[in-house]
Amino acid sequence: MRKAYCAVAVLIFFIGFVAAPATAGDPPKLVGLALPEAGTDKGWNEQGKVGLEIVAKKYGFKIELAEALGYGDIKPTLRDMAKKGCELIICHASGYQTVAPEIARETGVKVTTVENHRDITAGLISDIDTQPQGGSYLAGWLAGKMTRSNIVGIVASAEPPTWNRMSAGFAQGLKASNPNSKLLYSVIGEAAYADAAGGKRNTQDQIAVGADVIFGMGDGASFGMLQACTTKKAADGGKAWFIDVIGDKRSIDKADVLLSSVIMDMSVVYEEIIKSYMDGTFGQQHWIGMKNGSIYLMELNPAVPAGVKEELNAIRKNIVAGKIKVADIPTAVDLHKFLKKTFPR
Amino acid sequence: MNDIFGSALIAAIIASTIRGTTPILLAALGETYAERSGLLNLGIEGMMVAGAFSSFAVALNLNSLFYGFLSAAVVGLTLGLVFGILTITLRVNQIVVGLGLTIFAHSMSSFLHRVIFGNQFPILFGAGGTNEIPVLARIPIIGQAIFNQHWMVYLTFAMVPVLYGLMYKTRFGLRVRAVGETPLAADAAGVNVNRIRYYTILLGGLTASLGGAFMALGDLAFFVPDMIMGRGYIAIVVVMLGQWNPFKVCWGGLLFGFALALTSAMQVAGINISPDFILMLPYLFVIVALLLFTRSTNLPSSLCVPYKRGADGK
Repeated sequence: MRKAYCAVAVLIFFIGFVAAPATAGDPPKLVGLALPEAGTDKGWNEQGKVGLEIVAKKYGFKIELAEALGYGDIKPTLRDMAKKGCELIICHASGYQTVAPEIARETGVKVTTVENHRDITAGLISDIDTQPQGGSYLAGWLAGKMTRSNIVGIVASAEPPTWNRMSAGFAQGLKASNPNSKLLYSVIGEAAYADAAGGKRNTQDQIAVGADVIFGMGDGASFGMLQACTTKKAADGGKAWFIDVIGDKRSIDKADVLLSSVIMDMSVVYEEIIKSYMDGTFGQQHWIGMKNGSIYLMELNPAVPAGVKEELNAIRKNIVAGKIKVADIPTAVDLHKFLKKTFPR
Repeated sequence: MNDIFGSALIAAIIASTIRGTTPILLAALGETYAERSGLLNLGIEGMMVAGAFSSFAVALNLNSLFYGFLSAAVVGLTLGLVFGILTITLRVNQIVVGLGLTIFAHSMSSFLHRVIFGNQFPILFGAGGTNEIPVLARIPIIGQAIFNQHWMVYLTFAMVPVLYGLMYKTRFGLRVRAVGETPLAADAAGVNVNRIRYYTILLGGLTASLGGAFMALGDLAFFVPDMIMGRGYIAIVVVMLGQWNPFKVCWGGLLFGFALALTSAMQVAGINISPDFILMLPYLFVIVALLLFTRSTNLPSSLCVPYKRGADGK
């Protein structure tokens, strides 16, 4: 009798094992990653490369990397990736939002774009967009607490949606933490992502008129901003602090002026994309934001008082819980209106 | 205008103008001579990139700013020589060679930066300093802005009258101009056309490379690929704006530098104009100046025309 029970149990287990629908497929064997700049820029491109490497290690796939592609026609590169057997190509720049869907439709290879909601296609094209304003709200709060002159500056290398969202969030956080503060806002150029000299010039001008905390968004240009904070003292003779975005520049911050950075951890969204590839739901909108933990404030400079750290922790929880609503402003025109309204001059 | 638009910002504008003009002016001064002799060097952008990278890499490794600038000089002269061999001796199209050199220098600098520094972006401490001129630096508002600059700034502006004198007051300058206008006649008068052109392109390569070195060692103290951001091409426009006259080229450079400084200062001052329009200003200034001042300008007659003895200059 006991043998019969065992046999039935094994049979049920076997039938269940065979008949159950597959809940997870295999990850891709080869994933292409197209970067506009070198994957060593301590910013957007490096975060993309490092993020995918983390996910590749976890899921056991290989990466076909093409970096420093610029913003021209990258179709030959993408076709080459498809020929090499990439089952998924991540086009890690908003500048690729036209060519990437074309290649997906031409070759049938799945692609991921950036800031391109309109081309999302089930099973073929997924998109990554950013919701970084919560992180920059925290940065604005920090700036409001650390400024001595009550003058804080934003320097941006351009005005893409991500930078605009960050600027708006920063301004909102600054106003909330220090209602008496003034905010300066400068754009270096139309697409001055690598203009380090422009970054330095704009930052120096802001420091010259009294700013002592600079929030810089720039890729290569942010090296110039950091350099300006390193070499130019604030009006009171003290440090001009710098708050960075996307990456971690602590290794080159010899003058210890880096307060923090709004980090974008791409590995979180890349893992979401790989999971969607595996479970057959590929072709969705993915967000880099605080809710999934892909946006956070880097470890704070030791000069930040413990009380401010505790405040920031509490605010972070409130933002994630939706108790603090941070403005989502992607366009430059709306951003300018918002800044004028929040900080009338 | 508002309360923060005060003397501090005016001083910052003046300082930014001078600092921003320097690399453009330096490159433009050499290009003035090259174009005057009939050579259009579109490789100037690449020479600036190569100068910036080589000076930074050498200065960082040898811990010496002197060797950094020296290496930029050597690299500039070498690239100038390459341009000369290809366009003067081998008579290859100048535009093709210039663009090719720029692409090569860009790619090589990025590649070597990656190989040497990996994902590190080291900063050269001690670079980017200024040299204050006693007494003059104490003049209110403009003192610190003008007389507390990097030594390369003083050198660049001092070169303007020297190169003007060389162009218009010496036999060498006369030969440069003659070679650029009618090389056949110059040759008939006993001028070695190719030798003069080699001299000018070597000068052009040297100054362009030093312009890049100033950005890496004098202004920023680090190197980032693409940091030149088209300043080489702006130098070419400034040369045309200055009608191949070193003094006018200097004014053209200052105009562009001032417009660049204004883009930042106007935003900081919170002037109620769209940033899009403000960012357009430098290019608008240059276009308007080109329209106003260069309508009657004639290009050097043999600009871009290779010279071959006994072939009617064609």
